[in-house]
Amino acid sequence: MTAQEICLCGLLLREHFGEVVEKVGTHLLRSGAQNLRTIVHETNLSVDLVKKCLCVLVQHGACSFTVGRKGPGSPTEYHACGERILRVLRYSRYIYTAKTLYGDTGELIIEELLQRGHVTMSSTVKTVADRLTQNMEEGQSLDYSEVSSTFSKLVETHFLQRCPPVGAAGTSGGAAPAEAPATPAAPAAAASTAPPTAESFPECYTLPQVTLTGRGKRQLVPEDGEDQRNAKRAKMTSESHGDEGIYWQVNFERFHQYFRDQAIISAVANKMDQTSSEIVRTILRMSEVTTSPTATCTKPLSTNEIFRSLPASYNIPRHILDQYLTLLVDDPMEFVGKAGESGGGMFVVNLHKALANLARATLESIVQERFGSRSARIFRLLLRKRHLEQKQVEDFAMIPAKEAKDMLYTLLSHNLVQLQEIPKTPDFAPSRTFYLYTVNQLPTARMLLQNCYKTVANLIERRLFETKENKRLLEKSQRIEAILASLQASGAEPEQLSEVEEMISAPEKQQLDVLRLHVNKLDSAENQVDETIFILESYISSTSAS
Amino acid sequence: MAEVKVKKETNLSEPAEVENRIKELCQQFPQGITDQMIQNVLPHLEPQQRAMAINKLLSLGQLDLMRNSSGLLYRLKDTQGASKMKGSDNQEKLVYQIIEDAGNKGIWSRDIRFKSNLPLTEINKILKNLESKKLIKAVKSVAASKKKVYMLYNLQPDRSVTGGAWYSDQDFESEFVEVLNQQCFKFLQSKAEAARDGKQSPMVQRNSSLATSHEVWKYICELGISKVDLSMDDIETILNTLIYDGKAEMTVIAAKEGTVGSVDGQVKLYRGVNAILQPTGLVKTPCGLCPVFHDCHEGGEISPSSCVYMNEWLDF
Repeated sequence: MTAQEICLCGLLLREHFGEVVEKVGTHLLRSGAQNLRTIVHETNLSVDLVKKCLCVLVQHGACSFTVGRKGPGSPTEYHACGERILRVLRYSRYIYTAKTLYGDTGELIIEELLQRGHVTMSSTVKTVADRLTQNMEEGQSLDYSEVSSTFSKLVETHFLQRCPPVGAAGTSGGAAPAEAPATPAAPAAAASTAPPTAESFPECYTLPQVTLTGRGKRQLVPEDGEDQRNAKRAKMTSESHGDEGIYWQVNFERFHQYFRDQAIISAVANKMDQTSSEIVRTILRMSEVTTSPTATCTKPLSTNEIFRSLPASYNIPRHILDQYLTLLVDDPMEFVGKAGESGGGMFVVNLHKALANLARATLESIVQERFGSRSARIFRLLLRKRHLEQKQVEDFAMIPAKEAKDMLYTLLSHNLVQLQEIPKTPDFAPSRTFYLYTVNQLPTARMLLQNCYKTVANLIERRLFETKENKRLLEKSQRIEAILASLQASGAEPEQLSEVEEMISAPEKQQLDVLRLHVNKLDSAENQVDETIFILESYISSTSAS
Repeated sequence: MAEVKVKKETNLSEPAEVENRIKELCQQFPQGITDQMIQNVLPHLEPQQRAMAINKLLSLGQLDLMRNSSGLLYRLKDTQGASKMKGSDNQEKLVYQIIEDAGNKGIWSRDIRFKSNLPLTEINKILKNLESKKLIKAVKSVAASKKKVYMLYNLQPDRSVTGGAWYSDQDFESEFVEVLNQQCFKFLQSKAEAARDGKQSPMVQRNSSLATSHEVWKYICELGISKVDLSMDDIETILNTLIYDGKAEMTVIAAKEGTVGSVDGQVKLYRGVNAILQPTGLVKTPCGLCPVFHDCHEGGEISPSSCVYMNEWLDF
């Protein structure tokens, strides 16, 4: 973990779980695996507090525990998972995606699971149904079965997955299964943990739960279907729903796959046209569940299959589809590749190549915005031609020598361009040395990713600062809102209400509006940077995997 | 035995004879003679002998070898240079020869010094002398503005010396390049748009959005924005900058011999393309463009809470 990442993790932990958890979390991130005693000693917190913090972290999969390194019997060691903590940044996007795909119910299910880490299906379904019912009009209520059907849909599409049973971890003493839930979001995890993750996957999604939930659901609905309001109060009662011990968590990897597919589709739409992007969308959707998350390309699909799966509303005749596919294959971006001739041509989506292209476009865009379009021209030129001398750069880019030199050196000083010296003689005399400029995409992407982390940390920092500055005002407005709400509930007269409203003066109101605007702006900027982070992260993990 | 002797004699006498005949022939046809013509005049000459004679003349510097569309041409070397050099000493001749060898690329005075082993002052004097006689000229190179190269007076300087169409008086005309770059892009874009509006099948649409470099060249020539004559190569370099700008793509296809704009049986096709990404999220924040990004730390002199860029951005 780099300093920037730890700093960002700390901020995220503070925002979501408070300062104590932040302290323990960052400590663990900085010092690697540690046992309870060392943590207590080094953080100067009470044992109880540390235990609670660790509980929180483990519950959210941000911390894993292993048997001590000194062999059996040695104290358990805790290890924080930074990648998992950084996922917090993307929560809003996961929730939004669930909303677009599965409506409000899906949104709330994901939100619930994200907020609580590991939850059983029955309790999620109950809470979600309660919350939805509360927002509905008087006298209406939502059936549990609807929520649980959405839940099972989410499981079917792998957006949710079962946490491997904790009991196995406890009894066998093998920590690997316990670690598995924490790592799926991080394919870069240590090699030793990778095999158990893969092993535990098949049982993670598949049928056992579905049959289980089916039973659980039937028990649920008649039991307390009539009065949801009460059910909320009596949450997590001791009644058995048949799914005790089976906890669920959000499958981040699957969400990332979805984001990646969306990114590819929108890239195709930008580059080619809407219809081509729909074809790519169809191919991606058909292979959504059959392709493994780390595959370099999707499973080959024949033209016939693609043709049959195209949404009828698009009305693309067969020969036009053929043309579109040929065009997609011919495109230099190579989003789509041809795998064979059988069945009217087999086509794949080159996922890794697409990610590399997207990452390259991201780098180019960063250079373009930061240093201007002429520097971007040099940058692209170097990406394309690999190694070039200064003179060649000037000639190819058609930029006057003086400016080109300036731009090259600026890029070099920002580590976006590298310089390779090739001496003709061993003394490295400048007159007898070739100086070749080059761009290394992967290290550059890594560096920019760190910049992104720092940027997000800065934005959060600034947001905290803004809210801190206006703390008094915020508290006041909250108090007044509370008073208003209680007055409204008790049926107060309009004059009374307006009187209370006037307690906030006009300039104060203005200030609040400005603050709201600022915070919104910072929030949306965080999400935008996260999109860059996502593309760079997936590119880096895809290239290091292959 | 006698026969052999005779043959040997003719062999001995012939080379000089043949050379003379060839020289005569050359004088008759000052624009040059071909192999075929020599064969016609000297039908009994064996190819080997002919080659030997020509080689000798070439090595003596009396004959020039040239190439035209129909094949090789031999021409008598003009002795004008030698006549011009009348009245000059050996040193001057030597320097002249060195400059002549350098051709239209020119040669730097320091390199003349190395090659001739004459002192620099002497060389400067000779160069001045030759220049005043209009035998040589000095040309400023674009590669190094202070470097003067010398070449024969009647030569057209090489592109590497003048920099081609993009330089006027050693200055790179970046505005000119930029204008051409924009015009080319406009051309490709309008073509792509027309193709898109055509509402044809995707393949036809793509193909009609492609433009050959010849078409672009013609368009630019007809626009008349350029004072100098641009060649196809010049336009291709401009089009290449569009590729590096991420605004165009190039494909190469094989062309039939004689197609307009084909080079070595290939036609380069260009088309305007759109970027695959909007500006990425990072650069939409002030930090993505911040010049003091690396000096920024919470609690430091430069920090997110006190950031002026952030203030401006938030109040925008």
